[in-house]
Amino acid sequence: MPQERLLTGIPGLDELLDGGFIPGRAYLVRGGPGAGKTTLGLHFLATGVANGEKTLYITLGEPAEQIRTNAKALGFDEKSIEFLDLSPTSEFFTEIQTYDIFSPAEVEREPTTQKIIDEVTTLKPQRVFLDAMTQFRYLSADAFQFRKQVLSFVRFLVEQKTTVLFTSEGSEAAPDDDLQFMSDGILNLSYSDQKRTICITKFRGSGFRSGYHSIRLTSAGMEVFPRLQPDAYKRVFVPEPVSSGIPALDQLLHGGIERGTITVLSGPSGVGKTTIGLQFMKEAAGRGERSVVFSFEEDVELLVRRCHNVNIPAQTMIERGTLSLLKVEPLKFTPDEFAYLVRQQVEQQQTSIVMIDSVSGYRLAVRGEDLVSHLHTVCKYLANMGVTVILVNQTKAFAGEYQGTEYGISYLADNVIFLRYFERYVNSQLELRKVIGVLKKRLSDFEKSLREIQITRYGIKISEATPEIRGILSDLPQGGKAPERDKL
Amino acid sequence: MNDKPLILAVDRNRRNLELLAQFLDKEGYQTICAASIEEFEQALSGETEIGLVLVDLSGFDRQIWEWCERVREKQIPFFVISPKQSAAIQQESLAHGARNMLVKPLVIRELLGIVRGLMGTPT
Repeated sequence: MPQERLLTGIPGLDELLDGGFIPGRAYLVRGGPGAGKTTLGLHFLATGVANGEKTLYITLGEPAEQIRTNAKALGFDEKSIEFLDLSPTSEFFTEIQTYDIFSPAEVEREPTTQKIIDEVTTLKPQRVFLDAMTQFRYLSADAFQFRKQVLSFVRFLVEQKTTVLFTSEGSEAAPDDDLQFMSDGILNLSYSDQKRTICITKFRGSGFRSGYHSIRLTSAGMEVFPRLQPDAYKRVFVPEPVSSGIPALDQLLHGGIERGTITVLSGPSGVGKTTIGLQFMKEAAGRGERSVVFSFEEDVELLVRRCHNVNIPAQTMIERGTLSLLKVEPLKFTPDEFAYLVRQQVEQQQTSIVMIDSVSGYRLAVRGEDLVSHLHTVCKYLANMGVTVILVNQTKAFAGEYQGTEYGISYLADNVIFLRYFERYVNSQLELRKVIGVLKKRLSDFEKSLREIQITRYGIKISEATPEIRGILSDLPQGGKAPERDKL
Repeated sequence: MNDKPLILAVDRNRRNLELLAQFLDKEGYQTICAASIEEFEQALSGETEIGLVLVDLSGFDRQIWEWCERVREKQIPFFVISPKQSAAIQQESLAHGARNMLVKPLVIRELLGIVRGLMGTPT
């Protein structure tokens, strides 16, 4: 029997909490100014309203009217949330409401707590958000009294069958260790280096996802992107070969690339890597399967035109829903957000093939983090889901010594297909030609020969095996023989 | 003529006076307030008998000591409230006849203890 859970209204956060909060507990939300504590609280209360629950926002800092305005701007139904405004009014200043003869603890504690008790007893809310609990510190004569006061206050709320979310403005100068000990769960929001994260460090009575997960604060509130855990996902699939639709290429691969494998397409700029990947997708579309290209470099319109020029009907495929070309702005998404996009495509759209074009573009998105670990996570997730993964890897050198993959991702690849340029005499003219070969294939044998590849307006053409091509891996490859008359 | 003696609270800060009156009233004592020297003089000249005077020094100049002397001449007990612990202020308070000097912020229980000691428990 699954335990009853209260949704926060933030799908990613509910996932991190193993389904949501356990009712009738008290949870601490920690974070500095601007970290998103209030936004999270509004999500929590708005979700309660949507479920027909009574909710109460107790504010000790920001005026209620201001919070209502912000809540409305974020699209929340702020009219259904009850507010108890205990923030100082302007009268406190204009009418010289300040005093110094007694401590605030003695003057304000009793009226403040009485107002809260009255409101809670009258309204009987199921969800309470209190912002911020650290304000109570100023109503306590000492640390012991503060702890006792907060504990008894939280117990009062919980005895009303209320679920409490309270915030803390803890800092090094005023630590909130006591609040952390008192709460049943702790959510830490942080903001640094243009990056927002959430980290759960405590959740009594439940499992939760540890680690730091991306957050985005938008005009619609908060989004949480849980870090991907590939092992949590499994889908039963048959690792059958996926054909490219080009007999010579399939022959090279002894049938194709298998489902649930990771293929690296490696080669210098302009050699045709993207086109090869799209060829597999064209063939898959013929079987009614859906593919997705995450393009970090080229715009969608450009890709469509390129496809058209080589007899790949991308536009038709898009219209039929068998192809999706997604332009990803590298600096816009964190790795977790990108993984979220990938998951959406796979789990909601039954995608069979995913191509990341290119690894260099993805590296920009990782931005200082470990490229290999993030790429590993996304690729392993896709492989576990039976998706065929194609990674486009651009090598720096046009010619010269061979580098199969860069960034140390070769271990990740089940298959490595490489393309190269080479010189060749054709009718006494020296021409720059392209060659394709297979370097690695885990699930089957493969042809060891190299084949010339041409990308024409009729599509991709691959020659029969070309035994005279040599020098591929060590030098500028050469093929054919110069005619005798050229030696004059 | 009111039979019940009053407590006179002298403070520049009206909010302080409100709070003092509020807490003392809750304990059964009647309080009148003075927020200036003029009001202080007026209260002392009134017909109502004053049993105790509380004087918050903050915001007053040295003229306040002259009025403390007048309270002493009328044989009304009083004590001084100081914004900080200060030996000089304490000495001057005692020299002018104060029973004691209290330092802000006051602890209500302590204040009530002193008031009861001087005025007795209200009936």
